[in-house]
Amino acid sequence: MTRELLQVKGLSKRFKDREVVKGISFSIAEGSCAALIGPNGAGKTTTIRMLAGLLQPSGGSVVLLAEGRPVADPRPYIGYLPQMPVFYPWMTGAEFLLYSGELAGLTRREATRETGKWLDAVGLRDAGKRRIGGYSGGMKQRLGLAQALIHRPRLLILDEPVSALDPAGRKDVLTLLQRIRLETTVLFSTHVLHDAEEICDEILMMREGEIVLQGSLDHLRRTYSEPVIRLEVGGDEVSRAWLAAAGGKDFVVQSEISGGRAKLRVADVERAALELMADAVSRRVTIRTLEAGQSTLEDLFLKAVRS
Amino acid sequence: MMQFKLFFRKEMLEMGRSYKWLWVPLVFLMLGVMQPVMTRFMPEILKSAGNMPKGMTITIAPPSGAEVLAQTLGQYSSIGILILVLSVMTMISGERQSGVSQMIFAKPVSYVSYAAAKWASMLSLVTASFALGYGGAWYYTVQIIGAVEAGAVVKAGLFYLLWLWFAGALTLLVSSLLDPAPGIAFVSLGAALLLSMASGWLPRYTVYSPGSLPQISAQWLEPAGEAKGAVGAALLCLACIFIFFAAAVYRIKLRYSKG
Repeated sequence: MTRELLQVKGLSKRFKDREVVKGISFSIAEGSCAALIGPNGAGKTTTIRMLAGLLQPSGGSVVLLAEGRPVADPRPYIGYLPQMPVFYPWMTGAEFLLYSGELAGLTRREATRETGKWLDAVGLRDAGKRRIGGYSGGMKQRLGLAQALIHRPRLLILDEPVSALDPAGRKDVLTLLQRIRLETTVLFSTHVLHDAEEICDEILMMREGEIVLQGSLDHLRRTYSEPVIRLEVGGDEVSRAWLAAAGGKDFVVQSEISGGRAKLRVADVERAALELMADAVSRRVTIRTLEAGQSTLEDLFLKAVRS
Repeated sequence: MMQFKLFFRKEMLEMGRSYKWLWVPLVFLMLGVMQPVMTRFMPEILKSAGNMPKGMTITIAPPSGAEVLAQTLGQYSSIGILILVLSVMTMISGERQSGVSQMIFAKPVSYVSYAAAKWASMLSLVTASFALGYGGAWYYTVQIIGAVEAGAVVKAGLFYLLWLWFAGALTLLVSSLLDPAPGIAFVSLGAALLLSMASGWLPRYTVYSPGSLPQISAQWLEPAGEAKGAVGAALLCLACIFIFFAAAVYRIKLRYSKG
């Protein structure tokens, strides 16, 4: 399953004199799950809206391939969930699903069957009979997922699906997504790296309208992770002073020190750990923790975003 | 066609659940019935007002049935149009602002069906409400004032309905252009008012203007009434409604599509 489903080439968007998306290119393989990560204002939502066909790009192309051939109108193949899904408050959940199913081209009978199925799948079987006006944020998000999936799209595009939810609602949606991604290709945007790591295998990192990093999660971990030593020392004067000085040692490439904790990027993790420990013992410094390991994606993300 | 039916059914359901199908016809009925009833009982109302100088007598020449119906149409020109504009002004802008339309337009839907359903449901609401109100006015006029020639009543009613359609179409167009509801109401009411006033001030230049439709329908009700430029105004009005529709479709498409 490595056939490409979506090809984006040189996609750009300009609002008046501000270029929000600056000619980005990427592709998404069928069956994969890609996360578009970036800080707020990086151009994620604009990109997503262009992919969903809701916004006319200023330049570049978006091509969706079905059975290996490009399609003229991608909308039947796409399920889209906007950042803050809004529904008709006077409709019931079941009515809205039926309505969106029929709009997407299902017959009345198919739409009725799928509505029942998806209400069950997203756990809204009982709430489906009530007006959407009384739904909570999490319920709306789940209903939004159901309406995006009711016509069995090939590509599901989600804009910040969990960012506005409380921990419980977030867990619900992520669990659902984990199930959905077994059947459908998923692209979603988020500014929370942890969510991406949990369900995705592809990462596209955006900053100021450009893609600064892209690749599979494993590949990024392997290529960009660096040896790091995390240190925590006791609260006494001597230890603190020692920690502050530790950043200046020759094997330390870069250091972040705050209070009693330090994160040191080093050239050789084994040697660094040994030298640090020997040094600490000789100066009677109390070490609480010393962890020799790799930098996480979080570090990579912060680095990419700040650089 | 399939999608048009879906959209239309949804608009009708929405108008039902927001009670528009209840209060708009009711207001139109009230406006229509009030005129003949008020006219009939005006002397009694004045008498019971109680603050008249003693010995004062008022003689009001009883108006003809046709005159009363023409006055009823005058009521619709002010309050009727206001109610109409207020009830349909957010039909397009509301969905755009709340963001529902994002989800709708991400589906393979046609912009023409979407707009056509809005137009069709607006026209049904206006037609039903006006028919009810005008019918009520006619019934009461015949019952308590006097008979009116049926042909004139129907003709006047049809031309007036055309004017209400125009006002509704104008409102929907503005709704596709502007976001804030007060702005939509202000622009559509202002434009409708200006048009009808212009045909009063500059009759020479506005013979075929849709704004002269209210006057034309009043003229039909005059004894031996013959309205000038009626066909031209009607045709131009229908053309305007169609142009407004096309412009709104274009506008909706421009905002969402890859066009």
